[in-house]
Amino acid sequence: MSVLPRLPLTVIGGYLGAGKTTLLNRLLSEPHGQKIMVMVNDFGAINIDAALIAQADGDTISLTNGCVCCTMGNDLFMALGDALDRCPRPDHLVIEASGISDPAKIAMAARAEPDMAYGGIAVVVDGQNWPKLADDPLIGAQMRGQVQVADVLLVSKTGGMVPPSLAVRLAALSRAPLMDLADLPQVAPVLLGGVAPAPQPGALPGGMAAHPAYVGWSHQGPEQFERRTLEALLAARPAGIYRLKGHVLSPDGALEVHVVGPTVDIKPAQSDSTRMVAIGLASQINRETIAAWWASAAA
Amino acid sequence: MAPITVFQARKIITMDPNCPEATHVAVRDGRILAVGGAGCADQWGDVVHDHSLADAVLMPGMVEGHAHMMAGAMWKFAYAGFHDRMDPQGKWWRGKPDIATVVCDLTDHAQSLPEDQPLIGWGLDPIFFTGERLSRAHLDQISTTRPIAIMFSNFHLMCVNSAALAQAGYDHATNVEGVVKGPDGAPTGELQEMAAMFPVMRRLGMDFRGLSQTEAAIESYGAVCMRAGVTTVTDLYSQMEDADLAILRQVTARASYPTRLVPVLGVAGADPETAAARAQALARQGTDKLRLGAVKLMTDGSIQGWTARVKWPGYVGGQPNGIWNMAPDEIRRMVATMQAAGVQMHIHVNGDEASEVAIDAIEQAARHSPWPGARHVLQHCQMMGPDQFARCAELGICTNIFANHIWYFGDQHAALTIGEDRAKRMDALRAALDAGVHAAIHSDAPVTPLGPLFTAWCAVNRQTMSGRVLGAAQCVSVAEALHAITLGAAYTLKMDGEVGSIEAGKFADFAILGEDPLAVPAQALKDVPVLGTVLAGQVHLA
Ligand SMILES: [Zn+2]
Repeated sequence: MSVLPRLPLTVIGGYLGAGKTTLLNRLLSEPHGQKIMVMVNDFGAINIDAALIAQADGDTISLTNGCVCCTMGNDLFMALGDALDRCPRPDHLVIEASGISDPAKIAMAARAEPDMAYGGIAVVVDGQNWPKLADDPLIGAQMRGQVQVADVLLVSKTGGMVPPSLAVRLAALSRAPLMDLADLPQVAPVLLGGVAPAPQPGALPGGMAAHPAYVGWSHQGPEQFERRTLEALLAARPAGIYRLKGHVLSPDGALEVHVVGPTVDIKPAQSDSTRMVAIGLASQINRETIAAWWASAAA
Repeated sequence: MAPITVFQARKIITMDPNCPEATHVAVRDGRILAVGGAGCADQWGDVVHDHSLADAVLMPGMVEGHAHMMAGAMWKFAYAGFHDRMDPQGKWWRGKPDIATVVCDLTDHAQSLPEDQPLIGWGLDPIFFTGERLSRAHLDQISTTRPIAIMFSNFHLMCVNSAALAQAGYDHATNVEGVVKGPDGAPTGELQEMAAMFPVMRRLGMDFRGLSQTEAAIESYGAVCMRAGVTTVTDLYSQMEDADLAILRQVTARASYPTRLVPVLGVAGADPETAAARAQALARQGTDKLRLGAVKLMTDGSIQGWTARVKWPGYVGGQPNGIWNMAPDEIRRMVATMQAAGVQMHIHVNGDEASEVAIDAIEQAARHSPWPGARHVLQHCQMMGPDQFARCAELGICTNIFANHIWYFGDQHAALTIGEDRAKRMDALRAALDAGVHAAIHSDAPVTPLGPLFTAWCAVNRQTMSGRVLGAAQCVSVAEALHAITLGAAYTLKMDGEVGSIEAGKFADFAILGEDPLAVPAQALKDVPVLGTVLAGQVHLA
């Protein structure tokens, strides 16, 4: 077991022009309090507020808030290794997948690698052009494939509302929560989740619980679960939780849990208590529902 | 005045129609001064006669238009492939026709390694094995304590032993796509795709970046080339950083370095404007032995991996059509930008849908930014037919055809991928030449071994591993094949004015052969011994 905390990895997928770069610009400038490392193919479209730039050299831009943005070069997995070896290790790694690529091929590394944690796949769906792209005889299958592997679907360019026909098509392909990017006051809670379990029950750390659009829940206790029981409990989680993470005690040693949208990832960990944090959208879920779900299993 | 050396040979095949055959070639300042008989350079002054090659046959140094630098440094890992293969030092490694031989040979190899060093192998191709799949149980017979990882020849899969699985933390509880599990719920040792291989590669120190750009990698690539008679070689998806340029220049500049190197910058996923500017900047940094400035684009995957984009009727097994590694929109934008900037492109196209998209993109770009001398090159071209070759001829597009596939994968293509009809007309050098297209043929080393004479043999005989002839109508003559591996390939690199034939004015780059490839039976072309090369008048013996 490594001494350093695991490096969570979130992958941003979506076709060219869908709005991945806009999303990354938003993430880098929000007050999330985390030292994020963002990897892009190219700085081309990245347009970071000049006031936020502390230093720029070649393939790395350092920001005044402690974040860095860098190009990954030709070998993505080598870049992944470099991020893991970086000292100090970033709090969170966010990778922009290229337009046509399958973001799961990158994100799977976070499930495979013992030193990484699964931060999920957020796919940006172009609210105007996606249906046409999804029917394209050349790239349609890959466009639909991106939606199929998404943990969170973020719709851009909606002009105020996700068109119902689009929502229906996406829902047929994916169980991932669907959000209108224009409705999100902050993107960090969706892309990164909470930083660490909060000390007081019911509150979230950092500034991210403050916004009424998000519901946060946290819990600490002595309960233990067999891995199989835990998996069943997680499978029965209430809809509307889009992120859930923490440590759970189990008879064979503690487990680290990362749930993003429909994906559940469990790895061995060290912990002396069960500590969980969940985030959902206030429009879809409340804290009591989450608390009741967990209490039902702990009882 | 610099000295003039006149090399005598049993025969010199010049590829120059003005003087197709000769016995002597005169060299001054690294260039060819004259070609003919013993007195060919007498009018230029005093000469020194060199008889060291008098028993050999010389031909123009061969040009490999599509290979990768890691073909040299891969050999720091143990070879586990199906076919016999020669390493950069000239040692032959026996092919491994079954799992038992893989285990036996790697057990021997492990004896030579320090106790604490992992055993890393490469080149395994299970498409040639029948029956059982390689698993951790087999590799555990080699060692249960030393981590072992065998990379498959397609670089998309590997098999590892229990010790390596343990280091990566893979066990029955692992639930990761690509970590293959057996009926007992435990990992079998097979890992599919980079994400699943990454934890093992990271812990075993399998540094693929170190297989190119380092001094050792550049040197061993040169050694591989020299033993294959190659004097000009590409690195056809160079991931060089600006910092790598100095070492490339330094190593290639040495008189002992036996090859002209042509790194072609990979630009998939890059911003087109930035990539074009970088290619233009690199173009100005070249030397006689290091040519820079061209770029490589990706489109689809591979046919034998069922990831190539193929037109109707698709794959015989009903597999879904392949994947784009660059979206057609991105390809069009990249092609338009490069064409406008005057940057030559090499474009990977395996399936016929991919080649069509690439040709369309070039046609469209050419309408906006006419550039008759662009010589963009389609690479692999495996499923192109006369219709697409005709369009290439119209547009001045070159094709570099993956002839080695006929022998290595031809049977599989007929039976498992694209079916009999299209397999018979694949890698169609005859059709390309008949359409008037400038064509080369290649190995894509390390995917298949570097060896243009073997590649030429494939194009001439079109024989598969099972011994059948795959599409006799596409066979070419030996002379045509030799042209493809010299002047044909040189043309695709815009170096046909400097290399590719033995004629006055060009670099004195020769392949030294033990027999005359034009005199041996066509079936024996691949067996013509390569004794070494001459580069800029310097002899390098294998
Ligand atoms: Zn290649």
